[in-house]
Amino acid sequence: MNLYVCIKRVPDTEMKVKLKADNSGVDLAGVKTILSPYDEFAVEEALRVKEKNAGSTVTAITAGPAEAIEVLRTALAMGCDNAIHIELADGSDSNMAAKAIAECLKKEAPADLIYFGKEAIDDGAAMVPQMVAARMGIPSVTIVTGIEYSGATIKCKREIEGGSSETVEVTLPTVIAASKGLNEPRYATLPNIMKAKKKEVKAIKASDLGVAASDQKVKLSNFQMPPPKAAGKKIEGDAAAQAKALVQLLHTEAKVV
Amino acid sequence: MLQTVAFVIVAGIAFGYSGFRFAKLFQLLKSMKGRTPKFGRVAERIVTATVDILGQRAVLRDPWIGVAHTMIFWGFLIITLGTLEQFAMTLNEGWTFEFIGQTAYSALIWSQDFFTAFVLYGILYAAYRRLVKRPKNLGQSQDANNILMFTGSLMVSIFLMNSFHVLGSDPWFKDSYFISKHLASVFGGLGFSTETNHGLYIFFKWLHMSLVLGFAMYIPGSKHLHILAAGPNTALKHLDVAKGMRTLNFADETLTQYGAAKITDLSWKDALDLYSCTECGRCEALCPAWNTEKPLSPKSIIIDMKKNLYANKDLILAGKADEVTSLIDARVTDDVIWACTSCRACEVACPVFIEHTDKIFDARRNLVMMESRFPVEVQPVFKNMETNGTPWAFSASERANWAEGLGIPTMAENPTIEVLLWVGCAGSYDERNKNVLKSFVNVLKRAEVKFAILGTEEQCTGDAARRIGNEYLFQSLAQTNVETLNRYAVKDIVTACPHCFNTLKNEYKDFGGTYNVMHHSEFMAKLVATGKLKPTQEVAKKITFHDSCYLGRWNNVYEEPRSVISAIPNVELVEMKQNRKDGMCCGAGGGRMWMEETIGRRVNVVRTEQALETGAPVIASSCPFCMTMLSDGVKTKDKVDSVRVLDIAELMDASTS
Ligand code: SF4
Ligand code: SF4
Repeated sequence: MNLYVCIKRVPDTEMKVKLKADNSGVDLAGVKTILSPYDEFAVEEALRVKEKNAGSTVTAITAGPAEAIEVLRTALAMGCDNAIHIELADGSDSNMAAKAIAECLKKEAPADLIYFGKEAIDDGAAMVPQMVAARMGIPSVTIVTGIEYSGATIKCKREIEGGSSETVEVTLPTVIAASKGLNEPRYATLPNIMKAKKKEVKAIKASDLGVAASDQKVKLSNFQMPPPKAAGKKIEGDAAAQAKALVQLLHTEAKVV
Repeated sequence: MLQTVAFVIVAGIAFGYSGFRFAKLFQLLKSMKGRTPKFGRVAERIVTATVDILGQRAVLRDPWIGVAHTMIFWGFLIITLGTLEQFAMTLNEGWTFEFIGQTAYSALIWSQDFFTAFVLYGILYAAYRRLVKRPKNLGQSQDANNILMFTGSLMVSIFLMNSFHVLGSDPWFKDSYFISKHLASVFGGLGFSTETNHGLYIFFKWLHMSLVLGFAMYIPGSKHLHILAAGPNTALKHLDVAKGMRTLNFADETLTQYGAAKITDLSWKDALDLYSCTECGRCEALCPAWNTEKPLSPKSIIIDMKKNLYANKDLILAGKADEVTSLIDARVTDDVIWACTSCRACEVACPVFIEHTDKIFDARRNLVMMESRFPVEVQPVFKNMETNGTPWAFSASERANWAEGLGIPTMAENPTIEVLLWVGCAGSYDERNKNVLKSFVNVLKRAEVKFAILGTEEQCTGDAARRIGNEYLFQSLAQTNVETLNRYAVKDIVTACPHCFNTLKNEYKDFGGTYNVMHHSEFMAKLVATGKLKPTQEVAKKITFHDSCYLGRWNNVYEEPRSVISAIPNVELVEMKQNRKDGMCCGAGGGRMWMEETIGRRVNVVRTEQALETGAPVIASSCPFCMTMLSDGVKTKDKVDSVRVLDIAELMDASTS
């Protein structure tokens, strides 16, 4: 089977968010970066499928600036066989990323399964998986928390509103956007980390895939920090007085009753 | 003549067989592939080995059985002289030891009787203990009973032989048999002829010799192997109490196996450890894991690894390394390996200086680095250490937030300092332990110590990563920290965390970081001794102190924290039953802080119960992890209102304010 995992380098979840001086984005200077956590589920799932199907290969793909190669090393260390780095400028939008990835995939060995994380934790856009599927003319299943594989069709359990789930049957090839619960991502073994350092990463320029400035549909500007949380208020007095004060506040300050 | 021929044949078979088995054991030892530490300091080794072996120092730490063992040990040494003469004379009648002179020979004969009685007393006590008293950690062992039977029969046969020697041969030195001659007069009452008595002498002599030869054949497969292995093992022991873990060299490309997947991945010194075990159970008696119903017993792990080695011996000796079975097996399971808190109670108690943690650490290294197999809850801990330089899920940029407004300079501000305060992750991020650090800062300021911190340049020392088996992660943290410390040419470091203390002091050497590292207990004890700190306020009437393993057993610091507490006016320091080197671990060491505890009772609760038994309203701690574990224990026991857990820095802060 030809398995692909599309991944993204994102700032660490514990980072303290600071904005660039001109509010054009988040200041990432000195910030630690990681493989986006949902993408870890994607990588793990592809690896498990590979381990069950002899002769399969897993190729990790990322689209981003030069530093993005770090997450490819992480994916290789986890056990991916190949890696492709699509050089795409910082600040590109989902449409550009999706076009780059789709065009790249069309040139590679025909995919059976293309895994994504359900969203990247930096912009949380959750758009690229579906856009890639659309460009390739194949189905996509998002927010997947469990998969039953059986030949050319697979059954995907996906999370839907209200904490419930539905099961979707889909024919390969397909795009899968993985969510938490799909599996427990592995911790890379040291021999694999060592090997990953030496593996070759194929580099492709986004422009060679036909991605142009005109593909940018969204430009983000004027980032603002959320207003700081106001201090809580403690209502004193006996139960009746407290209830009265609470209703008063809900009415006059929160304006909900 | 007949006797000579018979002896040559019998002894040839016996010694041939046991020699063959010893040779196999030696070859097995040589097939071990793990790297062995260097053994320098020969003179020192000779001295301590002499005291420990001939003086039986380590054995005597348990006085009753220690004395019995010493009697047996010394008795056997002396009696062996007599046995040698007996063998010599059986080969050639003329080879008696009488050439040493009449007086000396009489003394030798006397000593044989004396030490036979001496050994017999020892054996009787040992048998009483094993069969009647039955201490819990000794267990039941057929092997041990066999040994007692062998040694007991050996002694009885000597007395019988000597008595009939007196009756049957009337030797000139018969008066030197000062015990046997009385037995002889009893046996004389049987009215046997001189010939019969002589015949019985020959019979018992052969009985004795056969027992000796039989025992020689029995020893290689028994725990009695320790009589040969424990000596060298003692001479090759880790000389210092303080020790760091073995450092792996990742730059060495020939190294493809990290840690031990198979028994042969351990070192020959580890194998010698396995051979040396006497199954005495002293280790098990103090093991916090075993004592809270975990599947780990340090005694069993040694015996089980020996079984693994023996089960694989044919494959190993045939060079079929690939077919050797896994070190983790039905007995030494994953749960066994992960239960260890690396408290070293076992190692410190072991009379033959077996180092249990080395083997457990090697097994963990393989599991973590080669197989990525470890408790799931540890993975985020590794990831946090990798990305944020702390096991907690906090940003590296927040590391110095605790110190805001305290006016502590960072090294980057280039201050002149006497000492660097190494804060550690707990002091930086854990709410309870931030207060400990603030108290320690108050103390340092009061004593007018010039100090600074690294601020956000500090990172986790990697202690937990290393103990859990992630040597690779540990080394990357260690290298960054050493680089930072050396960039500022730091010489003196003080820290309130025994884990940081141990790592900085004993383990960073291997990465080019040599510093004078002090634990805050040592530092405060010195400030008090030199009059720079004057504790004047009363804090509590009674305080009990819990020893941190990484301060006590890993670094031999037992008295300094106690002297800090005792410096407080009007305080009574009450000891728990298990204290100092026998102290029980809080349960957090060896990376256990970051793992769930799902089997048995909780270590921290058991230790807290011991602390509560003292009736002291304050439990003093000197370690952030002990602080967490004991505070949780006090909460579990619902004693928050009456008992406080305080760090010694908080006590000193309160007493000097
Ligand atoms: S180090 Fe402590 S927990 Fe580990 S085996 Fe020894 S006594 Fe038990
Ligand atoms: S390891 Fe040491 S303390 Fe434990 S049973 Fe063996 S000899 Fe005794």
